[in-house]
Amino acid sequence: MNITEQTIIFAGEPLLLTNQGVLFWEKQQALVLSDLHLGKAAHFRQNGIAIPSRLAADDLEKLGRLIGHYQSRTVIITGDLFHAGSNKETDLLTTLTKGHPGTGFVLIRGNHDRLPAAQLHSLGINAIYRQLKINDISFTHLPAIEPDSFTICGHLHPGVAVQVPPYRTLRLPCYVVTPRQIILPAFSRFTGLDTRPVMPPATRYAFYEDGFIAIPET
Amino acid sequence: MKNQFQQTQGYTIIARWMQDKGMAPFRFQENTWQKYSRGYSGMVIAPTGFGKTFSVFLAVVIDFLNRPEQFSEGLKLLWITPLRSLAQDLARAMQEAINEIGLDWTVEVRNGDTDPLIRRRQQRQMPDILLVTPETLHLLLAQKGRDRFFRSLQCIAVDEWHELLGSKRGVMTELAISYLKSQYAGLRIWGITATIGNLEEALQVLVPYPGRKTRVTAQEKKKLEIIPVFPPEVEILPWAGHSGSRLVEQAVPLILNSRSTIVFTNTRSQSELWYQLLLEAWPDFSGQIALHHSSIDSHIRHWIEDSLSKGRLKAVVATSSLDLGVDFKPVDTVIQVGSGKSVARFMQRAGRSGHTPHEISRIYFVPTHSLELIEAAALKEAVRTRTVEDRTPVVMAFDVLVQFMVTIALGGGFRADSLHTIVRNTHAFSFISQEEWQWCVAFITTGGTIGAGYEDFHKVAVQPDGLLKVEKRRIGMLHRMNIGVIVSDAMMRVKFTSGGYVGMVEEYFLSRLRSGEKFMLAGRVLELVRIKEMTAYVRLSSGKGITPSWLGGRLPLSSNLSRFLRQKLAQAAQPGVRDPELRFLHPLIAGQQEYSHIPAEDEFLVEMIHTREGYHLFMYPFEGRLVHEVMAALIAFRISRLYPISFSMAMNDYGFELFSDSEIRLTEDQLHQVLSRDQLMQDVVSSINATEMARHKFRDIAVISGMVVQNTYGRQKNNKSLQSSAGIIFKVLEAYDPSNLLLKQAYTEVFNQQLEEQRLVAAFLRISKSRIIYRQATRFTPLSFPIKVDSLRQSLSSEVLAQRIQKLQNSSLKPGRKTKP
Repeated sequence: MNITEQTIIFAGEPLLLTNQGVLFWEKQQALVLSDLHLGKAAHFRQNGIAIPSRLAADDLEKLGRLIGHYQSRTVIITGDLFHAGSNKETDLLTTLTKGHPGTGFVLIRGNHDRLPAAQLHSLGINAIYRQLKINDISFTHLPAIEPDSFTICGHLHPGVAVQVPPYRTLRLPCYVVTPRQIILPAFSRFTGLDTRPVMPPATRYAFYEDGFIAIPET
Repeated sequence: MKNQFQQTQGYTIIARWMQDKGMAPFRFQENTWQKYSRGYSGMVIAPTGFGKTFSVFLAVVIDFLNRPEQFSEGLKLLWITPLRSLAQDLARAMQEAINEIGLDWTVEVRNGDTDPLIRRRQQRQMPDILLVTPETLHLLLAQKGRDRFFRSLQCIAVDEWHELLGSKRGVMTELAISYLKSQYAGLRIWGITATIGNLEEALQVLVPYPGRKTRVTAQEKKKLEIIPVFPPEVEILPWAGHSGSRLVEQAVPLILNSRSTIVFTNTRSQSELWYQLLLEAWPDFSGQIALHHSSIDSHIRHWIEDSLSKGRLKAVVATSSLDLGVDFKPVDTVIQVGSGKSVARFMQRAGRSGHTPHEISRIYFVPTHSLELIEAAALKEAVRTRTVEDRTPVVMAFDVLVQFMVTIALGGGFRADSLHTIVRNTHAFSFISQEEWQWCVAFITTGGTIGAGYEDFHKVAVQPDGLLKVEKRRIGMLHRMNIGVIVSDAMMRVKFTSGGYVGMVEEYFLSRLRSGEKFMLAGRVLELVRIKEMTAYVRLSSGKGITPSWLGGRLPLSSNLSRFLRQKLAQAAQPGVRDPELRFLHPLIAGQQEYSHIPAEDEFLVEMIHTREGYHLFMYPFEGRLVHEVMAALIAFRISRLYPISFSMAMNDYGFELFSDSEIRLTEDQLHQVLSRDQLMQDVVSSINATEMARHKFRDIAVISGMVVQNTYGRQKNNKSLQSSAGIIFKVLEAYDPSNLLLKQAYTEVFNQQLEEQRLVAAFLRISKSRIIYRQATRFTPLSFPIKVDSLRQSLSSEVLAQRIQKLQNSSLKPGRKTKP
């Protein structure tokens, strides 16, 4: 895992964007990520679509390593932790939460998160919110067109499509950073990208294995 | 002298019936009847309009009249046709004949449009003759009571076999026939086809089974006249663009002087454009002409087809959407705008006029640039010699196979061993290995051979008695909805804000538009208001709009036609040339000769042109745009191996250009080197991005194999949590299951279809045998100019990915399309 970082100032706070799809808020020791879509592969398989089943375990393992790397006290998931109902894959979350007893897991409920609170708690989620505010920064699932406060959210799975001649379009996940909002990339590998143009002013920080590309829209 | 067959009761009845109608059987019809009565399977080769339907259909009737004791209650003849629209008319004609002959048989159609009530009745009691598409046949095989349906079946007829043969629908047909043949060994199988290059192969693919089989060829030939439309004057430098719009004014009188005309274009955007241009050139056409392509609402399309049959329309501007289908009797003129791309397609389109056997089909050819007139000469030659293209059968299409396996598992299940035999008996899978078969079984039962958690997978379950069956209702429903191999782009409906439906447009086109932007559809300029839930709301507007450029609108130039093109161009340089097209082009040809060279048939022309802009390297293989794309990338790659240089590329059907602002230094020796056949495919693979191409190919494969649930309008809601793009699945499989057969199939399809490996190899073989003519020029030559004008720029550099990304930080970032979620 070759972690590279990009520091931005948001709401007066320095935040680290990483090329691993997680944001790190150093002052709060908080790792923020979105759209894990756990159980998606298993849900597909249950419906007769043969997706390799190791995906989810890999995603969670990667998250575990990131928690270790940043020594984070809190993990904030801004929605769509689960893709559908519970299945074998969702149970894998327990392994992660049990493996990091000193870390608090906070879920901002997304449109996909239909599991009841009790079940979420039993999987090791410590707190569940619709919206959470820490200092000046709000965490929600859905982005707002004109946010009334500084917001970090997910939902869109933002990305960019870069034309690389010949015959090539590189599609990379990205963070969308506007003066009042950060839209996080989807953490799961098994998700698509929304590469539509964004409204200026915004900067899209696209990332790949070895670094970042910043694409400003003014 | 009557032969024995002609003395049979069946023959006598039919011959008398025909006589009463003032008809006499064609020789090929009699031959078919006779062969059929002797138990043959086979294939009838006849042009449209000569009663090929009656060859096979009446063969079954005669057989019944001669030995009714061999027939029992129920379905006797299963008629497979590729076109839904043909079925109704065919059924009507057959029913009429049967009534007149005095039989009590019923003829019915079964397809997606069939009333559910009739469908249910058919399930209880099949008609005597049933007309289906390959898709509806598979749907029948997915029914629990499938064995009841076919108990008394005598014959399967496959109409327009040439249309199915080269496609995955052909594989569907092969599989279904093989299944039925395994249940009812006595079945006779008959194909009906137009002339194609590989008739013997076509027969072997349709009837790979032992037993007597034959080919019956009609001697009758359709007369065809090709009339090129000459521009007012020949221009040394061809006009820009692909519209050929300057010739619209010449097309107007052709339409006015005809009863009804079909104007064929090659792309939807070209058809939209021509429709507008015709209206501008002759405003009285308003209300008398229509536009027909696959993005137009099917109700409107049916209305247009109906109006065309009834002679209510003066002209229809169409794409390949009207290539096939029912005859439009009033149509007496066909106009082809731009290249015909293949001899077969051109002849097919010509055949849409002048239907009765002894009428002449007339087709006017409107070139979109001067040079295309050479193609008119080439087409004439090809038609004269009836040199029609091959239709290469699809083999080893595992996506179709796994779909079929689930279909059979759904309709009552199967045993792996016996289905294996059925599959191996088809042409498409005659070489399937034991491992490949095992993989397919694993794919539908345990979700693949890779990964744990098998118990989570539920598609086809192995019963304790060894039967493979679909158990879950939901799986069955999903599967039935997705049977078929025609994959369409995600389409969005276009509706007026005031209500009223305009048509369908690919989602990716609309998703790039912003509110307020204008585009053209169905001959109207529309302004996008908003997009909501797979529907784009628009209002009527005026002025200029963007014409959606639909992907896949580019038809490849057939290798057949390109050979004739090279031949005609070579002839153009000779004195005393006869063809009027070539004589008309004389100023242009002379210009090419003066500034550069006209390649003879055994020569290969390369031009190096130095202009103020930079250095242009032109090559003219005449192999069609698709092959040129690959060749251009390959040559650029090979030159950049000699010394570092970056190119941009452009191509058309005749040749390609490599452009660089720094000098392209290339000696004769080096030129031979870059055109060498050595390590051809290795270099091709290094010069293009096969992964990206395979990812595109995987789209269809993913849908057909059931890995992507098609986004059908109105139904997508139910399956929202199962939506995923083929691109994501491709990525996941590449990472976790690289030996997946469907993934491998995507790469094979890239090599066979996209790179046209065989053709590429053949082209380089030809070049290696040719004399290479290397000319320098300081201005664009008549051959090079259209390429220059038509340029679709692509730039290549041989840097590694990371560097490319670095480079891109400052440059071309284009908004792409959406694939989420």
